[in-house]
Amino acid sequence: MPVDSPVVPVALTVNGKPERLEVDPRTTLLDALRDRLHLSGTKKGCGLGQCGACTVLVDGRRVVSCLTLAVMNDGASVTTIEGLGTPDALHPMQAAFVACDAFQCGYCTPGQILSAVALIDEGHAGSDEEIREHMSGNLCRCGAYANIVEAIRTVAGQEG
Amino acid sequence: MIPGPFHYHRPTSVAEAVALLAAHGDDARPLAGGHSLIPMMKLRMAVPDHLVDLAAIPDLKGICEDGDRIVIGATTTQREVIGSDLLAARLPILAETARQIADPQIRTKGTFGGNVANGDPGNDMPALMQCLDAVYRLAGPDGSRTVPARDYYQGAYFTALEPGELLTAVEIPVPPAGHGYAYEKLKRKVGDYATAAAAVVLTLDGGTVATASIALTNVASTPLHAAAASALVIGTGLDAATLKAAADAAKAITDPATDGRGTAEYRREMAGVMVARALAKAMRRAKGA
Amino acid sequence: MNAPALSAVIGQPVSRVDGPAKVTGTARYAAEFVPDGLAYASVVSATIPRGRIRALDTSAAEGMPGVLAVVSHRNAPKLPYLERDQRPPVDPKSGDQLRMFQDDKVLFNGQPVAVVIADSQQEADAAARCIGIAYDETEPTTTFDPGRGRPPSEETAKGGRPGAAGRGDGAAGLAEAATTVDVTYVQAREHHNAIEPHATIAQWDGDSLTLYDKSQWVQNVVVEIAHVFGIEAGKIRVISPFVGGAFGSALRTWPHVTIAAIAAKMTGRPVRVELSRRQLYHSVGFRPHTLQRVRLGAAPDGRLTAILQDAAAQVATYEEYAETTLQPAETTYSCPNVATAYRLVEMDTNSPCPMRGPGIVTGLYALEAAMDELAVALNVDPVALRLKNHADINEKTGLPWSSKALKACYETAAERFGWADRIAAPRSMRIGTDLVGYGMATAIYHADRAPAEAEVILFANGTAVVRTAASDMGPGTYTSITQIAADELGLPVEAIRFELGDSTLPMAPVHGGSITLVSVGSAVAEACAAVRQKLEALTGEGSIAERLRANGLDRLAASAKASPGEETKRYASSAFGAVFVEVRVDEGLGTLRVKRMTGAYDVGRVINPKIARSQCIGGMMGGLGMALMEAAEWDPRFGKVMNANLAEYLVPVCADTPALDVTFVPSEDTVLNPLGAKGLAEIAICGVAPAIANAVFHATGRRQRHIPIRPEDLIGT
Repeated sequence: MPVDSPVVPVALTVNGKPERLEVDPRTTLLDALRDRLHLSGTKKGCGLGQCGACTVLVDGRRVVSCLTLAVMNDGASVTTIEGLGTPDALHPMQAAFVACDAFQCGYCTPGQILSAVALIDEGHAGSDEEIREHMSGNLCRCGAYANIVEAIRTVAGQEG
Repeated sequence: MIPGPFHYHRPTSVAEAVALLAAHGDDARPLAGGHSLIPMMKLRMAVPDHLVDLAAIPDLKGICEDGDRIVIGATTTQREVIGSDLLAARLPILAETARQIADPQIRTKGTFGGNVANGDPGNDMPALMQCLDAVYRLAGPDGSRTVPARDYYQGAYFTALEPGELLTAVEIPVPPAGHGYAYEKLKRKVGDYATAAAAVVLTLDGGTVATASIALTNVASTPLHAAAASALVIGTGLDAATLKAAADAAKAITDPATDGRGTAEYRREMAGVMVARALAKAMRRAKGA
Repeated sequence: MNAPALSAVIGQPVSRVDGPAKVTGTARYAAEFVPDGLAYASVVSATIPRGRIRALDTSAAEGMPGVLAVVSHRNAPKLPYLERDQRPPVDPKSGDQLRMFQDDKVLFNGQPVAVVIADSQQEADAAARCIGIAYDETEPTTTFDPGRGRPPSEETAKGGRPGAAGRGDGAAGLAEAATTVDVTYVQAREHHNAIEPHATIAQWDGDSLTLYDKSQWVQNVVVEIAHVFGIEAGKIRVISPFVGGAFGSALRTWPHVTIAAIAAKMTGRPVRVELSRRQLYHSVGFRPHTLQRVRLGAAPDGRLTAILQDAAAQVATYEEYAETTLQPAETTYSCPNVATAYRLVEMDTNSPCPMRGPGIVTGLYALEAAMDELAVALNVDPVALRLKNHADINEKTGLPWSSKALKACYETAAERFGWADRIAAPRSMRIGTDLVGYGMATAIYHADRAPAEAEVILFANGTAVVRTAASDMGPGTYTSITQIAADELGLPVEAIRFELGDSTLPMAPVHGGSITLVSVGSAVAEACAAVRQKLEALTGEGSIAERLRANGLDRLAASAKASPGEETKRYASSAFGAVFVEVRVDEGLGTLRVKRMTGAYDVGRVINPKIARSQCIGGMMGGLGMALMEAAEWDPRFGKVMNANLAEYLVPVCADTPALDVTFVPSEDTVLNPLGAKGLAEIAICGVAPAIANAVFHATGRRQRHIPIRPEDLIGT
């Protein structure tokens, strides 16, 4: 017979805004973002860290938010797709994804974009092959990979 | 898909963590990156009542040089292993291996200690640690002890770690400058566990192999140190016949399972190919260095 | 008003109009709506392949924190499930659908048997784990044994999937052949695995029901749920503005939609049902495991004298889903003697369903691989063999093609690919230690059109709204239809808002089978013409805005319906293509890499070349997965897919992406529709798998007659 999980407090800074939550410790960062903060730009694809749709930046680094508990990230700064840009003021990577048609259905897209932003920050945009290798944690079932690589190359070129 | 209920602990020292682990015994699990444990908990393959998060223990983090050894703290992430200048200079095979683990997101949180400690035969670092003859530092309620990587793995998910013990760091003897190395991993796609993989570190004396160490990933219920294969290449120039003999000797100690990665026969064969290719690459690097 | 400039926007590489919403996370998918008081459901799945529920212990779950209800056959409302003629047209034509919680029977492993509803997803999931179920198992049928195959039922046959079809005398054609091949191919069970899991939020307001659902046909959801609950269609509204990929898995309305409605009814709260990745493998259909035998006969000059193709496909016991697998045998090539035989192999599994290029892609795999084998047997070039047997008309129906530029596809793709550099003998091309193989295949997918309606509203501020109940699961419907309206109205793209994905909008057909653009686009074009006519009847001059204001109007609306007509009786319509592939094989490891792919397509007029290209590269990646990776690992002991996750069910990742080259040959099909387009979702995956398989033979000299082809198949060649 399971015991009740005690609720634990979590303090996060999400897209620059402080958030305080009381969560069941089993709550993943993904579920906290989607179901508690209603930041549904972060997507749930598999819940097991196998698709990358839930990729967010934690303290500037890309992580799969479905495999990290909210409570493990107490005190951390989280950037979701909503914190990157808005429809009227797109982040360069968001703009490049639109320009290069780097998505179809759009569901894996927020994770792809956050992963791409991190990839450039990590210095992995040196060649198409390197980009492809370092974007392989993000599945795109519509098969937009070639355009995703093009979008990243474009932004890396602008920044380089 | 939700883990069973648990109590969450966040100790700030190794002593506190060990006390918690010791107090709860088999009902407690240490939590580092969580990327192995949390999926297992979601699938109810692990149902710990107590999770001891190691993130707030500074002593467990970091990479440093200690005489002729490099010491890597357990909660050092794979990303940090890849980014370490020290490792790049002294033990480049670590980054080469870490880069082939899972994908970049997983490597952000996934830890070196978690990869070596949990006994998953699919993990890549354990074979490399056997290849390098690393030693694991374990802290327990009765004090600390060390266990060589070559003695640590007893079966799939069975290790020398006792309930209440925590792997705190790994000591790696640094091979001489100019050593040759390679971690060759065959996988079905980026992010996958190895169909078969081989780690090789060797040194040359003139054109012949002076020392060599070979170990294998995911072709048995534990990582395998291929001692016979290693011995066999010493004194040779790694000609084709030697490569084949080494591959055969390595294959002989494998016992892979038939699974989605291929039949046991195929995976055994691939273990041999990985050994031959890793030896050849290590030789090229040693000569080029 | 001035007449709009011809094709000012159509044909332009306009960026997706829904792009900014998708890249900022503001596009809202089914699970992301948050009605007040939303509760969360967790579906409990059966763990045996066949039998009955003997005992169901829900007491522990019911006492857990946050739990609102546990629903099973013991307490679910009895639902009418009306007769089959009231069933939606995308449902199989024979058999009975799965009924939710109406009795204690278990028909397959993974069937929903209960649902827990709670205040949070965590509480629902936790409680669902605590339901105890005891079963009485009966001997299941869980092996795919083609020997048990039976012909499809009469209803299925009438629906275009007959047990036997053809023309001439297949056996005689084979007997007269100078060269024959007789080969058998196997294709694995494949799963759609869209990254968005299927999800539904159900909300009752009195006797009215709103469903936020992942759907390729919102109005079909209305029909289905009205039929299940025996309520008026007018009481149901389905909302689905964004669909996170589907590839056919959201054509039907699956049982979890009914579960959401039951759960909401019983709790008096809006309820969300979101299936887990694992549940998707037994909840929303799949491409069926299929075995095919192909016999081809040819005269010495390469002319086909016979095509005999047999297929056996797995099917559920309770419902009869069948495919048009053998249609390519009848339509792809000119041949006087064609005979096909289709069999269904019943298994205790959930029902299969259409997956991108349904049936055709399966049949074409076997046919095009066999054509390659014939080319080798005849010692002729594979492209030459196909040109020799070019079908100038559709020989199945005897009708002329409404348009066909397949020869241009072969020529263009071969030229761009560099097919002339191919050394015909297998195992004769190498780069370094890798073997190199070139392979090609024909692509064909019938081009259809269905009736559709649309409404256009012009506003005095110079903008317009276009409305129809279509869907956009990724192909770019939002954008291409906006472009059509822009041209018809003479307005810039930015001035037009296209509303879709709401069942209360004007009638639209299923978003599948590559028919959306030609069907909905034609209706939108006509509605635009109608509103323009109304506008021209007004007094005054100048822009739309000026004319409306001059007449004291704040808006002007018109609707239209567009339907296919008599042309469908006089012409056959199809999209065509040619796919060329280069593979590299590392013999030591058996690993295979697709280096590059060139496709040339005849899809009629291309409305948006940027988005059309994306469709094609997506289809190429889908075909790559089909050829080399995708397979459900079925364990007959449990009647269950064992690799029901995205780590073990392999799909292509970014690193697997080859160089992809897409060309659209000049083509226009104004017979099929006034826009001249033919639709291109399905054609893009057709032919890819056989082109890869053929390239593998060319590289290695060994035939692999199954897909996916795995590394261990290629080692030691």
